[in-house]
Amino acid sequence: MAIQDTADDLELHRRLAAGDRAAFDELYRRYAAQAYGLAYRVTGQQMLAQDVVHDAFMALWRAPEAFDARRGSFRTFFLSMVHHRGVDQVRREQRLRARTEKAANLDPLEDEDPADAVAEAGYLSVRRKEVREALTELPAAQRQVLEMAYFDGKTQVQISEELQIPLGTVKTRTLAAMRKLRSLLEEAS
Amino acid sequence: MLGSLTGPDAEEADRLLTEHVPDCLTCRTTLDAFRGLTGDLGLVADPLSPPETLLPRLQRGLEGNEHRSRLRAWSPARIVAGAAAAVVLLGAAGLALTQGGGAGPSAPLTQADLAQVRTMAANPGAQTKDLGGGTTEIEPPDREALYVLGTAVAGPRQGYTYRLWAVQGDSATFIGDFAPVNGLVALKVSVDPNSVDKLLVTEEPVGSTPSQPGQPAWDATG
Repeated sequence: MAIQDTADDLELHRRLAAGDRAAFDELYRRYAAQAYGLAYRVTGQQMLAQDVVHDAFMALWRAPEAFDARRGSFRTFFLSMVHHRGVDQVRREQRLRARTEKAANLDPLEDEDPADAVAEAGYLSVRRKEVREALTELPAAQRQVLEMAYFDGKTQVQISEELQIPLGTVKTRTLAAMRKLRSLLEEAS
Repeated sequence: MLGSLTGPDAEEADRLLTEHVPDCLTCRTTLDAFRGLTGDLGLVADPLSPPETLLPRLQRGLEGNEHRSRLRAWSPARIVAGAAAAVVLLGAAGLALTQGGGAGPSAPLTQADLAQVRTMAANPGAQTKDLGGGTTEIEPPDREALYVLGTAVAGPRQGYTYRLWAVQGDSATFIGDFAPVNGLVALKVSVDPNSVDKLLVTEEPVGSTPSQPGQPAWDATG
């Protein structure tokens, strides 16, 4: 199932690159919810998250050749782009402090029920389960620094100060977390 | 990816990128590992239905945006032919070339300049194109500007300078003169990539009027 869906992504991307708007709409249907969820998690603000997702899809349309299947799946390419843009957006808006405070206690959006509102492709939920399970297998200290870096956009120095641990320890934990996570996900794939 | 590691402290990010990371195996390995995992980690966030207005907004946006692949159909041969034939100077209004604060080729290239361009190059969605001579054109996903990064770039001949042009169709717009600083080039070209088919670097006599491009400075593959 997952293999078939990945192949579908490639075909949709090929069609999008040829200017097929139906393919664009289908990729939107597949990834908009995940992209929006990620952008909201990173930015902590609905308007910023919407702009991030909008800009990411527009970039995909304008420059579809930015995706190179030899470097990974479309899913990882697109979500990586969304994440990068989310962090950039936060920097531009200089709202990191407010976002950080908010990120720890993100409330569901008004009138939104994430579980009910999102209909997504099965392989995304399968992969999400794999990633989440892999994260739970990390030692708590490693998972903590990883999440602070990825979702909170904190520097290793900031993490060091906040956790009151040496900078070298932050680096070591981050590297160990990344290695283990990569290994676990490769096994899962 | 990089933003995840460096957060909002741009100065610290710049310093790490240019002074520390290149010589730190641990940090380089961490960056490589992050690159491969950034997309997958995004799945940890709960999916949320975007506002219903987003898709219509996008569809409206598609109307005015062609694919880059259709806009950038240049071949190197065509660039040369265009430059030698009917090149028209459009003027530099609205364009900006920044290196070392934009003060010209003799201005010092700061670590921050270099870090900014390297950060753009590290973006997984960035498009790169070889401009020849050890320089690369970088187009980040947001397409708000173009960047040129070069390392070990030889200087122009005595009495000459490198000149950067934005080429579209048979027209070329002069952007600015530059020269490598200790072999390094880091340029930000504040131009709408939609209006540019190709960046072109020529070698011109210092002080000459930038009326039209001369011969390309290097052979480019991109």
